[in-house]
Amino acid sequence: MEEIKGAIALIGYGLAAIGPGIGIGIVVGNAIQAMARQPEAAGMARTTMFLGIAFTEALALIGFVLFFIA
Amino acid sequence: MDVLILASECDPATEIICAPENVIELFEFKEALFSIGPLDFTRTVVLTFFAMFIVLALFYFGFRRARVVPTKFGVAMESVVSFVRDDLAKGTIGPEGSRYTPYLLSIFMFILVANLFELTPGINFPLTSRMAIPLMLAIFTWLIFVIVGFTKNGLHYLFDIVWPKSVPLALRWLVGLIEFVSVFLLRPITLAVRLFANLVAGHLMLTLLLGSGWVFFAAVGDIGVRSVIGLPWFLFGLGIFVFEFVVAVLQAYIFTLLSAVYIQTSVHPEH
Repeated sequence: MEEIKGAIALIGYGLAAIGPGIGIGIVVGNAIQAMARQPEAAGMARTTMFLGIAFTEALALIGFVLFFIA
Repeated sequence: MDVLILASECDPATEIICAPENVIELFEFKEALFSIGPLDFTRTVVLTFFAMFIVLALFYFGFRRARVVPTKFGVAMESVVSFVRDDLAKGTIGPEGSRYTPYLLSIFMFILVANLFELTPGINFPLTSRMAIPLMLAIFTWLIFVIVGFTKNGLHYLFDIVWPKSVPLALRWLVGLIEFVSVFLLRPITLAVRLFANLVAGHLMLTLLLGSGWVFFAAVGDIGVRSVIGLPWFLFGLGIFVFEFVVAVLQAYIFTLLSAVYIQTSVHPEH
């Protein structure tokens, strides 16, 4: 087998992005569903959606920062 | 400006490989622009003061004279203030949230201006991509919600976190430990890292796309081939500009929203 070159931290970042990717998809999908079912509660759903995205996204961003630190 | 520095350091006569030796070079400005006594003012420090003066000037000129029919600029500033007061402070914390409006409004405006420096031609450097600034703001939020928690609820604030009554006794110590770590350690760290990492990622993406577009234009070879490669990169970079504008506003909003949520958990710990 050829020698594999490159930073292993890059693979770490890729792994760290999987979970938050799925998570943000679930958060946004359910928020859209909530907004479609109850348009009068759209403002509240949007605020909570951003909150959920922010919490979920943090994991991917920590992976991104660790890529540069490692 | 970073883009131009990056491109000018490339040697177009050789190969088109010109990454900076270390990525930190894009974020660190070591040489002092001027010094007052023992204090060196680097580009970051000067920009921090600049952002502060912009925020002060916005509020001064927005509310200089109270009028019955405000100017267009005054209406814009009023809508920002009422958004932070009604949606963020009162909407999240409750009726007593107006006490925290000055703090939330200050950090919102400062982070917004500091983030938008990323897209300002001639500056092109997001202040919040230096860890010192988001970390300092996160420590302010941490201090406020811890102090408010202890003054409003006394020592019950701490006991309710480390010894939650609603959890079964067998798991109570474990949940308490996790809650303690997450409230007192992870909250400020994630608050700072979220803002920092978003702006670092945006700055790197803009630098890479616009820089590589420039490098392809400046490289040797047939002009047709070069522009076919370089132009899409450049246009893609300009598209990312719009995306980064959304990110800059959204991150300022999220930082302020999370600060308000954390303060709310201290004001009403039972919820």
